[in-house]
Amino acid sequence: MTPPNPPPAESPPLMQRLFDNVYLLLVLGIVVMLIVYTGWGMWEILTMPQGTLP
Amino acid sequence: MTAAVSPIASLFRTCPYTQKKVHKDAEYLVKVNAVVSVVSLLVGAIAALLLVLTRWQAVHLLPATWYYRLLGVHGMNMLIFFIIYFEMAVLWFTSTVLLDARPVTPRLGKAMFGLMVLGSLLVEWTQFSGRADVLFTSYPPLKAHPVFYLGVILFAVGALVVVGIFFATLTVAKREKTYEGSLPLVVYGAMTAAIIAVITLLHGAMIYVPTFLWSVGLIPAVDPQTYRLFWWALGHSSQQINVAAMVAIWYMLGGLTVGAVVLNEKVSRSAFVLYILFISMASAHHLLVDPGFGPAWKIVNTSYFMYMAVLASMIHGFTVPAGMELGMRLRGYTDGLFGWLRRAPWGDPGFSATVLSVIVFGFVGGITGVTIGTEQINIIVHNTLRVPGHFHSTVVSGTATAFMGATYYLIPLVFRKKVAYWKAAQWQPYLFAGGIFLLSMGMTFAGSFGVPRRHWDISFSMSPFDVQFNPTVDLVLAVMGIGGILAVIGALIFIAIAVKSVFFGEPIGELQMGVDVPGLPRGLTKPPTFPPDVDAINERLHAPGRGIGGVTPGTLGLVTIFLMAFMVYYFTNWKLLTVLWKVG
Repeated sequence: MTPPNPPPAESPPLMQRLFDNVYLLLVLGIVVMLIVYTGWGMWEILTMPQGTLP
Repeated sequence: MTAAVSPIASLFRTCPYTQKKVHKDAEYLVKVNAVVSVVSLLVGAIAALLLVLTRWQAVHLLPATWYYRLLGVHGMNMLIFFIIYFEMAVLWFTSTVLLDARPVTPRLGKAMFGLMVLGSLLVEWTQFSGRADVLFTSYPPLKAHPVFYLGVILFAVGALVVVGIFFATLTVAKREKTYEGSLPLVVYGAMTAAIIAVITLLHGAMIYVPTFLWSVGLIPAVDPQTYRLFWWALGHSSQQINVAAMVAIWYMLGGLTVGAVVLNEKVSRSAFVLYILFISMASAHHLLVDPGFGPAWKIVNTSYFMYMAVLASMIHGFTVPAGMELGMRLRGYTDGLFGWLRRAPWGDPGFSATVLSVIVFGFVGGITGVTIGTEQINIIVHNTLRVPGHFHSTVVSGTATAFMGATYYLIPLVFRKKVAYWKAAQWQPYLFAGGIFLLSMGMTFAGSFGVPRRHWDISFSMSPFDVQFNPTVDLVLAVMGIGGILAVIGALIFIAIAVKSVFFGEPIGELQMGVDVPGLPRGLTKPPTFPPDVDAINERLHAPGRGIGGVTPGTLGLVTIFLMAFMVYYFTNWKLLTVLWKVG
């Protein structure tokens, strides 16, 4: 007699898999900061009009 | 015949209290990082005493040169060295001990620790010898000796590699199946701190490398506005590493001291993810009056996105005490609204430090931080003593107090020594946190009267013009001075306890369970356990009809008080703005 097939292991929910992905979170954390704070901030500095001396 | 011990197994010992496997190399790295952290705290605390006795105008102790020099020393030792060495210890501890795992490349970890120490020593030498009188922020065009920048870079590289080893250790632990499923919540908090550390240290490298090249004459100049943009992504974000590590310690000490439960894993983990995505942008708070950035950049960074991180802090500010309350109620302390709080182990310094850290961080640091980080309100706060009033209540009352509480558990668990001067250890968190509370209040009120920060002499005694402050300023500066002295005494007592325990302390000896043992926190010898009928208690607590207070009515009451205090403070500041800046 062959043993019954074990039930397929249930995969964790999508959000849990995302939250468990350390490297994805690392990349997201860096990218969001680089775009919203650093990149946008540098763009503001570089596009600042040149001041004219009196 | 003795059983053969595998070479790998011989590298581990089993903790008698927690039954966790402790790798010897990881234990060594926790120890050395913790020791250097405490040494940095000592240097920073001595500088703090001299500084507060100078800012207290009635005393005005130091000459101008030494005031500004020690301000830089205090900033580097407290905000960078003390905190980051301790966080390195937290990363080694959480990634190995809490996961029963081995550290990846411990030799490289030791080498990087050596690199960090070398960097720290170079920074200390340049600062104390007057070669780096550029304050903590070292804004160009102020220029320090190149060795100062080199020291910071070496320290940052060492820390960054250790963070990399932390991630590698998590990966190997998962592969070797030392844990199943998701990371435990405390490790998840440490992982959050590590990610923020990468963001922080990358920005530090991006600005300190060109500044070093400028200091040796290889590039002609560093643009001050660009420097400020990048530097604050290091300077403020490094304090967000603290926040994540501190919250992880809250969860850990809550569980160890009163059997706190995690109310909802999804909610707590979501809050940590919000930190990862949004907390580093708080750096923009420091640039709110800078002319180089438009209002859209300022408001998006400090309001819309940053409030996601504020939401995360408020989630933790609820779930940590609520988890403690539910843990206590499940253990049978169900009487009244605050019976669980009255019956809590207030003599356990791990518990008292956690509670004080949560309260002062939330009520003082959190409320003031969100308020003064609002673009419009920031204009009445910028460069006043209100700013250090805010961050002393977050970094010191919050983070440092939590780290001290954790140390009282690390001494027996990692160093295997009893905590020396146990009576002093039991009231040290109250003295330290109480002192910092007074210091923060004094600074905040003095700043509200316009007293500037980073200023040697607010009487302007050698200036050609006269500035008069409201006489109340003398009173609040005295409060600041007394609070600072109390806090420094509290810090020195902590250092004395740590040094005596670690180097000359009594070994923990025979395992003693079920009794209070002087020198051992209660959570170790009498760990919080749940009664056999815990399921029945849980059902009763969750029974329908318990009203809006739900399972944790005490915490809900405390949180309501917090939100009301928040609203009053926030709108009072808008009112102050209208008084100072009349429109129409």
